[in-house]
Amino acid sequence: MIGFWILSVFLIASAIWCVSARKPVYSVVALLLNFAALAITYVGLNAEFLAVMQIIVYSGAILVLFVFVIALLSSGVAPFAAGPNRLPKAIAPAIFIVLIAFGFLYYALRDSSVTLNVLKGQSQLGPVGTAGVFGSVADFGKALFTVYLLPFEVTALILMVAVIGVVLLAGDQTPYVPTQKHARQVEREMREAILKGGER
Amino acid sequence: MIHHVMGVDGSYPLLLALWLLPLAGAVVCWAFGPQLRNAAGWLGSATIGASFILTLLSWGAGTQSQGGALGAHQSLLSWMPGFDFGLLLDPLSLLWTLIITGVGFLIHFYSIGYMDGDRAFARFFAYMNFFVFAMLTLVLSDNFIGLLVGWGLVGLASYFLIGFWFERPSAVAAARKAFVMNVVGDVGMMFAIFLIVAHVHSISFGDGFAAAGTFGPQALIAICIGLFIGAAAKSAQVPLHTWLPDAMEGPTPVSALIHAATMVTAGVYLIARCAPFWNADPDAQLMVGIIGGLTALMGAVLGCAQWDIKRILAYSTMSQIGYMIMGVGVGAYEGGVAHFFTHAFFKAQLFLGSGLIIHALSNEQDVRRMGGLWKKMPFAFIAMLTGVLSICGFPFTSGYFSKDMDIYGALAEHHVGLFVVGIVTAGITAYYMFRLLFVTFFGKYRGHVDPSDLGIRHPELAGTALPSQAEEVHVAHEPAHHHAPSWIMNVPVAILILPSLLIGWLMFGGDSSPWARFFAPEFPGGPEGVVHPSTFLNEGMTSVIVLLVVVVGFAIAYWRYATKEAQADAVARLRTESVHMPPVLTNLFYFDAFYDLIVVRTSQLFGTIFGRALDPHVVDGAVREGVFITRWAGVFVQSLQTGLVRAYALVLVFGAACFIIYYATIGGAH
Amino acid sequence: MTVPVVDYVALSSVIFFIGVAGVLLRRNPLVMLMSIELMFNAANLLFLTFARAWVNNAGHIFAFLVITVAAAEAAIGLAIVVTVFRTEKNVDVDEVRALRG
Repeated sequence: MIGFWILSVFLIASAIWCVSARKPVYSVVALLLNFAALAITYVGLNAEFLAVMQIIVYSGAILVLFVFVIALLSSGVAPFAAGPNRLPKAIAPAIFIVLIAFGFLYYALRDSSVTLNVLKGQSQLGPVGTAGVFGSVADFGKALFTVYLLPFEVTALILMVAVIGVVLLAGDQTPYVPTQKHARQVEREMREAILKGGER
Repeated sequence: MIHHVMGVDGSYPLLLALWLLPLAGAVVCWAFGPQLRNAAGWLGSATIGASFILTLLSWGAGTQSQGGALGAHQSLLSWMPGFDFGLLLDPLSLLWTLIITGVGFLIHFYSIGYMDGDRAFARFFAYMNFFVFAMLTLVLSDNFIGLLVGWGLVGLASYFLIGFWFERPSAVAAARKAFVMNVVGDVGMMFAIFLIVAHVHSISFGDGFAAAGTFGPQALIAICIGLFIGAAAKSAQVPLHTWLPDAMEGPTPVSALIHAATMVTAGVYLIARCAPFWNADPDAQLMVGIIGGLTALMGAVLGCAQWDIKRILAYSTMSQIGYMIMGVGVGAYEGGVAHFFTHAFFKAQLFLGSGLIIHALSNEQDVRRMGGLWKKMPFAFIAMLTGVLSICGFPFTSGYFSKDMDIYGALAEHHVGLFVVGIVTAGITAYYMFRLLFVTFFGKYRGHVDPSDLGIRHPELAGTALPSQAEEVHVAHEPAHHHAPSWIMNVPVAILILPSLLIGWLMFGGDSSPWARFFAPEFPGGPEGVVHPSTFLNEGMTSVIVLLVVVVGFAIAYWRYATKEAQADAVARLRTESVHMPPVLTNLFYFDAFYDLIVVRTSQLFGTIFGRALDPHVVDGAVREGVFITRWAGVFVQSLQTGLVRAYALVLVFGAACFIIYYATIGGAH
Repeated sequence: MTVPVVDYVALSSVIFFIGVAGVLLRRNPLVMLMSIELMFNAANLLFLTFARAWVNNAGHIFAFLVITVAAAEAAIGLAIVVTVFRTEKNVDVDEVRALRG
């Protein structure tokens, strides 16, 4: 209970820091803290595999990518310093909206009596990490490669599409953008080629 | 479902090769024309010659007989059940294949000389090879769809070749006319095939013919009419004949191969091939016989009024195909097919002979501007003379045997009217063919006579050299200055003389003749095989009557064009005849005028109505309103597209909020 | 000691709305992308919470798929940022208005 509250405060604080930081590098650091706290929360929820994934994929891969892009774009110029920060102005309406949203949420969940027995969960569900116990890596893997095999394979396709998209977007060659002028020139060249071919 | 296959099933690589070789030749000539140059002619001829040799080698396969199956059947591919495509070589298609490749080879060879120096030499041979391939597809198909495909492709090849000299507007117009008329026939045939397939659930000939007796009278007559529309359009039968004379705009070898020897006889092939349908329906047979007889007579009459050497031959072709159609129509299939066989030789020979003349006279085609050529071109004279003798049915030439088979066949099947028409037509044929011969070769050369003195009304039309050209022509072609046709052009003509004089002997001897024995399995119980007791004339008597009428026709022609006085007075007499030609003949029985009035003018009227009223106001109006509404909506929606990514995100959040509110309040409560 | 599910839902919602606010209010595309990552994670937290509540590991699978999609999204988003920066020399999303109708 206390652990949950400590983690909650930490999560919310780091999220706010991430969104409001002036420099994107600080945002990345805040996000890193946020993800780490989230991984701890996942462990508490008997999802140890996803906790590890959170660290490896998010902190290890995605955030490094962010840092890399920041480094790439900040070289020589400082494009991120420009522009006023509008966060202070927006805080009042944002809080108002969030309160309304919480009102709805509370209204929706007012009758909910489901609780999670975080600390004593192990006695109900078995020791963490044992096969056949909820949340174990073995269980997760079995489910992933049997019942959910198709979605898993489809993610491979999604990743491949993403790779192709990235190569197309950020690849070395500028994307081919036909303009009307260019199209007219191509047409003219083709016609000339055809006419010359006829003279042969 | 039992499939009735018409030939002995098996693998026949020679058959495939002889079918595909011309296609290969066409593709090569077409693709590598500029590189091949004059070799294209030799290549094109060689493929057809090879095809001919392969056909001869396939003779045994084509005539084999095994348990009711006749000929060779090679499967090509199976599609849906009932839609099996293959090749069939039986005596009927073997005969056609022999003519297509054999006569086709001679004409290809001749073309090397005739087309020499033409800018599109390779293109010509590509088209010619393509035509041979298409025609082989037509006659070798074992199913109706393949037949229709071949039917359409020969029409296409014909279109290409009629319009070969596309700089000439008249050639383009003639090509278009031929194509449109042929498509009319294709559509008729297509509907007949639809009916057959709808009833039999199979496209193969065997299944269709096996079911010929089960169609019911209405379906059967509809099928016969549909098929005959196709046959009539392709074979220039009344009333779909008007394209054939115009088709003479093509080069002369084209006229010889396509518009005399092979393609125009496809209708004869169709009716002979579909004999079970016609045998099952005497009304349809009578219709075909009457149309054939009418065409024979009309072609002959119009042939008397023509001055263009190729048009005279075109009308004679039309007339002779009328004989064939009449023959197959009355059920004398062997007779009709026999006349196709001999006609292919003597008509090809006549066309190639006329080609020699036209070539020598630098494209002069009007017989009034010829005359006295027999001394200068003795070889062409002999070629034309033998051809004329054969077409007129001079005793013991090939035309004599085959034409008598048709005429006597009509009598044997109790069609006395058609019998009389056949005899009268034979006389008229003798008249106009000898008229052609006398005017062209006898008397004095009239190339330097002023066109108006000869009664030539439109010297600018194709077939008559222009006055300015005429001067050159006549300077260049003073006696002994004609182009001596090269041996390339003479050899095929010389080879053709032999069959057109002698090949009729194959048909001599009634039931025991080689011809009858060849076709006995294909057409059991033809006129030769059945005794017809009620005819009041026997075949010999028929022959004598035909001969008498032919002699009368010859005599009139001789009296009008070949006597001493006539030769001396030729210019004035030709002028008088031209000027006083009955309008009904010069207007070709008003068929073209009729089509112009009914089809062309009506279409134009509708076009005007639609173009002036309906299209701009109704159709375009609707489109304009649509454009206006779309543009107005676009202007409205455009203002929503601010380009601000964050605004889009806001809208997204708003939508998500709506979802949350819905599920939190109404949707989620359960 | 027990934690009500409502508390987890509330925590997840707070993080989600912080992410929404980041996307709506920041003009730096990198920070916007990071805010989107925050929203993904809030959603993942909910998946895992309910998976735990009902002892059903379908939620785990979904969370796993969300991580994959998030990775793909981040890669493409960053590629777009790099491309835009190359042509426009500007990373203010309000200045890039190629989508304007």
